[in-house]
Amino acid sequence: MSEALPVAAARPRRQIWSIGGGKGGIGKSLLTASLGWQLARSGKRVVLVDADLGGANLHTCLGLASPERTLGDFIRRRAERIEDVAVETGVSGLRLISGASDFLGAANIKYPQKVRVLNRIRSLDVDVVLLDLGAGTAFNILDFFLISDIALLMVVPEPTSIENAYRFIKSALYRRLRAAAATESVREIVESALDQKNPHGIKTPLDLLAAVEREDPTAVEPLQREMTAFHPRFVVNQVREDADVPVGYQLVTACARHLGVRSTYAGYVHYDDTVWKCVRQRRLFMAEAPGCRASQDISKIARGLVRGESLSLVW
Amino acid sequence: MQRETHYDVLGLPRRATLDQVEKAHQFLLEMYDDASLATYSLLDAEEVREARSRISQAYEVLRDPMRRQAYDATLEAAEREGTVVAFTPVAPALATPPVASAPQPEAALVISVLNEPVTGEHLRRFREQKGINLQDIASSSKIGVRFLEYIEADRHAELPARVYLRSFLFEYARALGLDPRRTAEAYMARLPKDR
Repeated sequence: MSEALPVAAARPRRQIWSIGGGKGGIGKSLLTASLGWQLARSGKRVVLVDADLGGANLHTCLGLASPERTLGDFIRRRAERIEDVAVETGVSGLRLISGASDFLGAANIKYPQKVRVLNRIRSLDVDVVLLDLGAGTAFNILDFFLISDIALLMVVPEPTSIENAYRFIKSALYRRLRAAAATESVREIVESALDQKNPHGIKTPLDLLAAVEREDPTAVEPLQREMTAFHPRFVVNQVREDADVPVGYQLVTACARHLGVRSTYAGYVHYDDTVWKCVRQRRLFMAEAPGCRASQDISKIARGLVRGESLSLVW
Repeated sequence: MQRETHYDVLGLPRRATLDQVEKAHQFLLEMYDDASLATYSLLDAEEVREARSRISQAYEVLRDPMRRQAYDATLEAAEREGTVVAFTPVAPALATPPVASAPQPEAALVISVLNEPVTGEHLRRFREQKGINLQDIASSSKIGVRFLEYIEADRHAELPARVYLRSFLFEYARALGLDPRRTAEAYMARLPKDR
């Protein structure tokens, strides 16, 4: 396994990538598995973490049976080291830490448990950790998203998915801003923003900054710094027609103009019947049909992310 | 306060070609279309209307080489002075978030059209009704007061070549809230053909 790796000195530091999206059933787990497979094939040491603690099924995407050891064992301290619950996937360089589907309370793990998981994930001796986040905007999910070096936000070109993506962005950003609030009064304003009918009339992060500025002008700068550091990257999945491709550019532009959020467009994945057929057979389409359109799209996204590139409008 | 330029509104660099202006405009039209996935849940009807209006204002200037040249000159002059001004009220740039309680002045959006023919005298009377002096126009448009006086006095022989005059009239009209294109055309229609 290590033979395929570049020499240690040239290897970049370990990165955490997360795949979120707010909405369920849009392909987050498949993207996680596929990106992991592609990165492992290119010689990186990868661990996939099924952070969908309530509805873990990343193993199924990889064609594996439900692993005996899961994140639940680590959370409940039946396994001391997080490495002990990482199982081989049969693909060189690719391991899986399965979600805690056997542990019903896992979706509501307590704060110290979560910190322990996050810290151990950070200390894994690999090149890339890929976190498959569950649906929704629970604090646990947002926290995994916020600790990532690369935070991918998956959407499909459908109204409900895009609505959820905006909600996800706002929720994640507000959580980050709340942590950066210096005073109780500023924290209260940030918390109030989560309620759409808040008394400050805050609809967007830009409104929030304006409200904070009215309360305490000195408190704005640290929040602006946090906003600048927040950087979601869109992946548009299930692209069926040419008109679906610009949706990613439109989301990036809308985020910048109307939310004050810097985002980028990591890429898009065509709708592909091959994917559907492979899912039915519990086989990963990347491995079964590397030449299919969706596989090639994902290879392109993986290459772009490794190189720090994104799609941009060129006219 | 720093304001968005027309280039910012269309998301274009200053060197953008006409083709790029067209494509950026098309992209934004689609983005703010009623059927757009990216904006329908993010903006209310009024916000969409404002966004479209800003885009249209920017597009009308940048697609017209003459107006764009005049705009660029004003932009450059303003930058030399350390202020960036747009001809039309636009939302503040992202660096300075809008304050909810400070709406943009609606009055500035009202565009007037003078009855034709438009003479220097008509322009002067309209300006005086508005209580704007020539010095104000000169400092916002970077056009010398002398030329503004020539325009109002119909001293056609003293006016610059048509290409410059047209730009001057655009700036003059804009400063007074007049429709720039129609004002310039109506005024220039009266010029002797050899001018």
